Amino acid sequence: MGTSLMEDDGMSINVCILRIEGTNCEQETYDAFKELGAQPEMVHLTELTPETLFDYQCLMVPGGFSSGDYVRAGAIFAARIKSRLFSALKEYVENGYPVGGICNGFQVLVELGFLPRLSGYPEACLATNDSARFECRPTLLKLENHCAFTQKMEIGKIYEIPSAHAEGKFVSPLIEKLMESKQVIFRYCNPQGEYAGYPWNPNGSEYNIAGITNEEGNVFGMMPHPERAFFQYQNQDWTRTKNNGAHGRLFFESVLEYARRL
Amino acid sequence: MKAEVKVELKEGVFDPEGENIKKALNLLGFSGVKDVKLAKLYTIEVDGNDNVEDMCSKLLTNPVIHKYTIRKG
Amino acid sequence: MEVPILESDAETLKEISDVTGAGLELREMQKIKEYFQERKRNPTDVELQALGQSWSEHCSYKTSMPILKEYLLTIEAPQNMVVVEEDAGVVDFDEDHAYVIAFESHNHPSAIEPYGGAATGIGGILRDVVCMGAQPVALIDPLYFGRLDFADELPKGVKHPKFLFSGVVAGIRDYGNRVGIPTIAGGVFFHDGYLSNCIVNVGCIGIVKKEEIIHSRVGHPGDYFILVGGRTGRDGIHGVTFASAELHENSEHESRSAVQVGDPILKEPLIHACLEANQKTLLTGMKDLGGGGLSCAVGEMAYAAGYGAEVSLDSVPLKEQGMESWEIWVSESQERMMLSVHPDNVDEVTKIFKKWDVPCTVIGKVIPEKVLKITHNGKTILEMELDFLTKSPRYKRAYTVKEVTPVVPDLNLPDNYNNVLLDVLSSPNICSRDWVIRQYDHEVRGSTVIKPLNGKIGYYTHGDAAVVKPLRNSFKGLAITADVNPRWVTIDPYWGAASAVDEVCRNLASVGAVPHSLADCLNFGNPEKPERLGDFVQVAKGLYVVAHTMGISFVSGNVSFYNESHSGAIPPTPTILGVGIVDIRKAVTADLKGEGNKLYQIGEAEREMGGSEYYEIQNVFGNQIPRTDPHTLKLRVSTLLQAISKGFIASCHDISHGGLAVCLCEMALGGDVGVSISVDSPPDVELFSESNSRWVVEVKKGKEKEFEKLFGTEAHKLGEVSGHRIIVDGLIDLSLKEVRNAWEPPLWRMMG
Repeated sequence: MGTSLMEDDGMSINVCILRIEGTNCEQETYDAFKELGAQPEMVHLTELTPETLFDYQCLMVPGGFSSGDYVRAGAIFAARIKSRLFSALKEYVENGYPVGGICNGFQVLVELGFLPRLSGYPEACLATNDSARFECRPTLLKLENHCAFTQKMEIGKIYEIPSAHAEGKFVSPLIEKLMESKQVIFRYCNPQGEYAGYPWNPNGSEYNIAGITNEEGNVFGMMPHPERAFFQYQNQDWTRTKNNGAHGRLFFESVLEYARRL
Repeated sequence: MKAEVKVELKEGVFDPEGENIKKALNLLGFSGVKDVKLAKLYTIEVDGNDNVEDMCSKLLTNPVIHKYTIRKG
Repeated sequence: MEVPILESDAETLKEISDVTGAGLELREMQKIKEYFQERKRNPTDVELQALGQSWSEHCSYKTSMPILKEYLLTIEAPQNMVVVEEDAGVVDFDEDHAYVIAFESHNHPSAIEPYGGAATGIGGILRDVVCMGAQPVALIDPLYFGRLDFADELPKGVKHPKFLFSGVVAGIRDYGNRVGIPTIAGGVFFHDGYLSNCIVNVGCIGIVKKEEIIHSRVGHPGDYFILVGGRTGRDGIHGVTFASAELHENSEHESRSAVQVGDPILKEPLIHACLEANQKTLLTGMKDLGGGGLSCAVGEMAYAAGYGAEVSLDSVPLKEQGMESWEIWVSESQERMMLSVHPDNVDEVTKIFKKWDVPCTVIGKVIPEKVLKITHNGKTILEMELDFLTKSPRYKRAYTVKEVTPVVPDLNLPDNYNNVLLDVLSSPNICSRDWVIRQYDHEVRGSTVIKPLNGKIGYYTHGDAAVVKPLRNSFKGLAITADVNPRWVTIDPYWGAASAVDEVCRNLASVGAVPHSLADCLNFGNPEKPERLGDFVQVAKGLYVVAHTMGISFVSGNVSFYNESHSGAIPPTPTILGVGIVDIRKAVTADLKGEGNKLYQIGEAEREMGGSEYYEIQNVFGNQIPRTDPHTLKLRVSTLLQAISKGFIASCHDISHGGLAVCLCEMALGGDVGVSISVDSPPDVELFSESNSRWVVEVKKGKEKEFEKLFGTEAHKLGEVSGHRIIVDGLIDLSLKEVRNAWEPPLWRMMG
């Protein structure tokens, strides 16, 4: 079932970048994959079916304000996905395909009940930032554990990836469990690597959690925007640190590598 | 049938918007304001048997942070 | 409905105009009476409303255009492609691309309903860019309010500046963030003069392939008018006539309907659909529906091509029931665009809009006669020649130019320069604006390569200009900035305006960009008062003198008159938006980079302290504001750009509000490193003068000799980057912490 990977060109990974009204980061996400030689495609939810889902070896839910964040950030997008594709998506995930949510996408995966685990209903929430403000600022993330989206990164290293959100505070009754089972992938920190408070933690997330994965490590969500840190010159301080590299790029390289090896 | 669904934050969940509104009111001179909490009120007009409880669990609330009450009229 | 003007005398004519809200002057009503006398009939209410919209100051520029044409719009530059005639200016970017600039005001609606007024301002300016076929890439928001600490009784009907400020910023934030276009430049200025009339200017820059530029005029007779986007409702009726009149105490209640309601979630797919239809060459023309709604859009589009239009209101999708014909015709409901489409392409266009789930309706067609004919429910409700409808009378109103009599205050030198500097740093027009900036998503689209806040991670300072990289495969960037000092323009409109252009050019040069084009948003009081119009004329002349020498034009702009109430007019406020071109790899930021690097000042301070922050914090008035020599500016800009291009410069910041002292503090805060410099006499002038055409530069180690050779006597050494204190020999000695504690908190403290 579904199309198999092309054997001759290892880079031809088809990536579905899912969107609805209000999604607004799909272009940068698309460009990131395109730049690395993959085959991304922007697909409106109304065009994705349980069959065509399997044409893609990776599914991304990008950032934005899907449905205006009305009711709750990500809630409407999640409800619409659930009504169309829930069992297909469940099968997709169980088959090990990588599914990534960035910012609004993370909110969607949580509302869908695919993160922190496949439950079908929300067991976590990305709530209103403690500051009650939209926070657009550079953030530093420490990699705690690996998943499908991080293999090109190093555990313990600090990565510079910007945040821009009003509802990013991760809360969940399952946090202790997530810490134990190595499902916490990124935590906000300061330049010294300490788990500091505001503004290094821009939203007040418990344990400074910025990104988590599911038990199998193939579904992942993060609040900061790696597609906005793909090139050196997108960094906050690139005129000072010209050789700092672009950390967001590693996220995309990692998932393509993972998808290739599936 | 008209149903009113009131969605509020659970006890113990920090309400940053409420906090900020309280601060703003205090700054405007309303020094007596001690607490402000926000709630969302959905007024839903339904024909037929659609279950309002289901609407709450499928879309209107996130059980991790919300509690809700339904009033049917 | 018939309006009985044929039988009316002068008094009744004026009454009719007031009661219907058409806002027409007696002379204009008499002209209309003559026109209909020739046609032996009375006008319908729709016709009168249409004339009211079209002839309003806001739509027709009847007072301002003669002056602008004479004094300001005569500058030519080889990069210009479309100047002033359409909704946005178009300027050459590279071989295949052009960039588009639109700049506007949304003052009156924001004073009544700040959130909706500001949000729809953003909505409107985006449409102006999209209707040229361009993808928006950046938003700009220069804002002006009364003082946040205003504690007296507010005039009736006026809202507190804190309420307006937070509402306006929230409106811009929620709209801009949702459509996914970064808000990257702007500013906020606080002054008593804006208490009753806040000023909200909004700008948008877009990028377009030259072959995809589309114009705001129809193609040919037979083309269909297709209305796309949101439904039409009663929100926003009389927006332009409202904007062409002074506010009064009942404005809120009477004019609430004039405030439009924005929907960024509809706008976002609307932008995609319009651009897609244009890219597939399915359109012959595109215009956005802004001021005056259908009324202005259809008429202007047809007229610009030399044709006319036949439209039926029957098919216009409506928000509410029972709307009158005239309400549909002049409604300013948001998120609507008008397309002109050849009959063969109508199906394809409809398919595209259906895909994006955006309403799309054919409402009329282009006819060869230059007549506008509107029907509704089987009746003809409007039939007028377009020559008459679109050609409002032009006015040459009387104006008086104010005399600037010299006032030089008698001030002693300060005892304690540290305290003076801390006061200046914490003053409302100097302190940190991060309270605003961090609410705007300035990173969306991933193309903001120089951000509004510069500096080391965890530290930040105000940048001079933001830079976006609009194309994937090119390192060519657009630097964007906006400025003006209204205090200076109040004191001396000519030199105040000239200084605004100087400042904008300085900001662009600071980041390494060549000043390339300008846009202006001219906010003034009631032009029927000769002193106000006199200010306007002087401003036009002042803007011209610098722009002309720099060789850059005003390619787009907006005039907002009637920003006045019975408590007075606003300070004359010509906001200038500047765009420059820069190779992003060579762009420079304001934060200090390296311990031991030498610091230089380009230009000299003069005793022109009128309107300075230094006088302001001491409550002192002086009216010798800084002047500028455009030729000196041009030479220095060119030399600075050479220095940057040759890699001599580690950081650069222009000297403006607060003078040299504030400039150095800002640079130090961004780099979290101190300075140690010395200045000549007189110290108050050296530290706090805001003279034009000056910068502080940090020169890279080893490049000092070459830098000095390049600048000669135009630059002199100040000292160097060192330590963790701001040290000006014998005058200032403050820790970075003290400086930060003065500069960072004030807006946070005021706004909570």
